[in-house]
Amino acid sequence: MKGPVMKRLMLALSLTLSAAALAPAPVRAGATDTDEERAARWSEIKASIFGDRKVEASPSAVTIDAPARALDAALVPIGLTLADKDSVKGLYFIIDDNPSPYAAHFTFGPAADPGEIKMRVRVNNYTNVHAVVETKDGRLLESAKFVKASGGCSAPMGMSDEEAMKGMGEMRMKFVGDVQPGKPAEATLMVRHPNFSGMQMNQLTRDYTPARYIQKLDVTYGDKLVFHLDGDISIASNPVINFAFKPEGQGSLKVVASDNQEGRWEHSFPVPSASN
Amino acid sequence: MRMRVIARGAALAALGLMLGAAGPADSPVNVPEPEGYYTGPPRGYTPATLKGATVIDLKGLEALLPERPVLIDVVLADHRPAGLPADRPWLPTHRSIPDAVWMPGAGAAPLAPEKEDAFLARVAALTGGDKAKPIVTFCRPECWGSWNAGKRLVAAGYSRVHWFPLGVEGWQDDHDTAVARPDPAWMAAASERAAQR
Repeated sequence: MKGPVMKRLMLALSLTLSAAALAPAPVRAGATDTDEERAARWSEIKASIFGDRKVEASPSAVTIDAPARALDAALVPIGLTLADKDSVKGLYFIIDDNPSPYAAHFTFGPAADPGEIKMRVRVNNYTNVHAVVETKDGRLLESAKFVKASGGCSAPMGMSDEEAMKGMGEMRMKFVGDVQPGKPAEATLMVRHPNFSGMQMNQLTRDYTPARYIQKLDVTYGDKLVFHLDGDISIASNPVINFAFKPEGQGSLKVVASDNQEGRWEHSFPVPSASN
Repeated sequence: MRMRVIARGAALAALGLMLGAAGPADSPVNVPEPEGYYTGPPRGYTPATLKGATVIDLKGLEALLPERPVLIDVVLADHRPAGLPADRPWLPTHRSIPDAVWMPGAGAAPLAPEKEDAFLARVAALTGGDKAKPIVTFCRPECWGSWNAGKRLVAAGYSRVHWFPLGVEGWQDDHDTAVARPDPAWMAAASERAAQR
């Protein structure tokens, strides 16, 4: 009985019904449910990451520096400044409307000076971004900012995949200013890696390049951890991370990075000491 | 707006532009209309015109809204990337012009005949069979999908087709967006008919 005619009939019926349901759509008079929708979205994400744990609003605990309107959605600079760095255990960065919202999680070690972290991310659409600080006593403190950028996750890199993967795993470390023992020092780590989001379409073959991104990255000073990073596809290609650490004298910063396709790279950078 | 679009465009095209050596297909100001549907790379500079349809900017769209046009969004749905670990939360969301009907991929070309039928059947239902009802097709900037969708509707005899090439981005510069879910009728029709093949 369920021949093509019947199917067609049922389809036509369902189309008519849903059209009827849609027809009296209300005219929007300015106010929309946007804020409510965004809050609901954040609740859903929070639950998926933190489960039942309470996340307290605390705009002063972490300040998010991001361009209100980004020039390039595939390369949005983010600065996170932490107010009470001595109490910080970890830092989450979440881009609400990205399909994989959980962008980065830093866990700080004893050699860290976690006052500020900078990085570059992909933003898929006009969205709230959230930074959540985890304190050593287990509290979660959140702060938010609205960022106008879109299309960053799927933006093609403008070169072939092979070209984008050239030199994958190469790293550079730049130390800022004089590095003096006992004083926090700033450094910038640059990793060559396409960090393919898996949402980038090869414009000619129309295939999606599979996700290939830095999943874990550890920076240590001597035998002490500076930070551990759990990364995701929202981190921009050729990741650049700005951080601070506590030099003690002579030593090296060691970086171990691995991606989700069994790529693993390790580099050591001697910390320049102020010899004068 | 234009500047941002260019900044986001393919590096090659941008380079060509700076050198002034770009062919018409690489230029944001002079892309000729293809004869039929556009079947090239889905992302790229689009023409300034669509024969048989009206090309509108944000002001044009705002002026049209009181007439309650049928808004058709053909932005592609995000697919879970290959290679993403199973334990990663995958929570795709799509925001669009409020009250738009989202038919992901309806602007593809070529489009399987049964999907084309489903698209046209859906639009017929949305317009209540009124071929003179205003319709707006859109996706994102530099996206050929909405151009193709508009062309399809012109070919189907709709007399007031509008193409809004700035898409969701052009709208959200000045207005709120609303979370859109894939149109259930389109999704069901498209997958059911595909399954029959």
